[in-house]
Amino acid sequence: MFDNSDDAVERVVRQLRRPVSIDPGLDQRVMQEIAALPQSAGRPAAPARGVWRWLTGRREVRLSPLSALGIAAACAAAIVGVWRMRASLASAPDSALHGFQFVLVEPGAAQVSLVGDFNDWDATRTPMHRASGDGLWSTVVSLQPGRYRYAFLIDGRHWLADPAAPAAGDDDYGAPSSVVTVGGL
Amino acid sequence: MGTSDAALVCRVRAGDTDAYADLVARHRNRLGRYALHMLGNREDAEEALQDAFVRAYRSLARCDDPERFGAWLYGILVNRCRTTGARAARRARRFVHDPAALETTPLPEAADQTEWDDVVRGALARLAPESREAFLLKHVEELEYEDIAQLTGAGVSALKMRVKRAREQLQAILREAEHV
Repeated sequence: MFDNSDDAVERVVRQLRRPVSIDPGLDQRVMQEIAALPQSAGRPAAPARGVWRWLTGRREVRLSPLSALGIAAACAAAIVGVWRMRASLASAPDSALHGFQFVLVEPGAAQVSLVGDFNDWDATRTPMHRASGDGLWSTVVSLQPGRYRYAFLIDGRHWLADPAAPAAGDDDYGAPSSVVTVGGL
Repeated sequence: MGTSDAALVCRVRAGDTDAYADLVARHRNRLGRYALHMLGNREDAEEALQDAFVRAYRSLARCDDPERFGAWLYGILVNRCRTTGARAARRARRFVHDPAALETTPLPEAADQTEWDDVVRGALARLAPESREAFLLKHVEELEYEDIAQLTGAGVSALKMRVKRAREQLQAILREAEHV
């Protein structure tokens, strides 16, 4: 059937390069899921943008002395209210996010990255910092309660499970990884 | 000429969510091809693809170079395929990583196009996930080794070894199919 083995592999490659058509309905499912997401920080929702435009737009305002006095009193009350709210927020515990410190002793490494479910296994997102001269690497990640698999990437080449944490038993991919559970799961 | 990825990314970041639909439509089929070949079935592929698009949207602020949105998206999809593939392997043990079991897996005869499709699908399924991933990214998606290294976190020499192993294994599987 095949003149030689390389021809066979090339035929497989040609077959696999053929265009594939994915259900266009996927676009709608993606956009529906996105619409259901909580609004991202720093990007106001469309109605909020309208309110912002209204608030920041130029308009002529005429005030009587009495109404100016009323506005000044309202501003003072608002400042006091915000001050009190900030004080109460500062004393309240943050139940949603937990700062979680990851450490690794790897004296021979030139660079170490933390990769895991929480950063899409992206080696560029969470570089670890050398915390001491004896090879201790450290980083702190904010995590919501949940179960996460993770590993360390040494010098961009070697994957290493955390020697101080349980191995992820569900890792079928071939690279070693560990598991951490955050919060009361 | 159509709007560039970078321009669409900027519009999305500015709050024009609808512009993201254009990015999804633009990248859907190419990324879907990788997911389909990597995972071996359409349902898992579409799940991984949808998940990748949503994750990319949520993380769009972290896309450092909007000109390379497609490459950045690939990285997210590669990871989603790993997760979905691992879950699918646990669920159905479709892609077994057990040489003894693989030896006994029957292959269809490659007599016509349909059977050839089955042969290719079956051969891919018999590759180890990391070999299949490297082979597809290099030979089918035609990425450079340096780019694949960035996407996968593996070193270039390890990737070359995986691709070489995948080619050798495919050759062996195809020879076997020829003699069935």
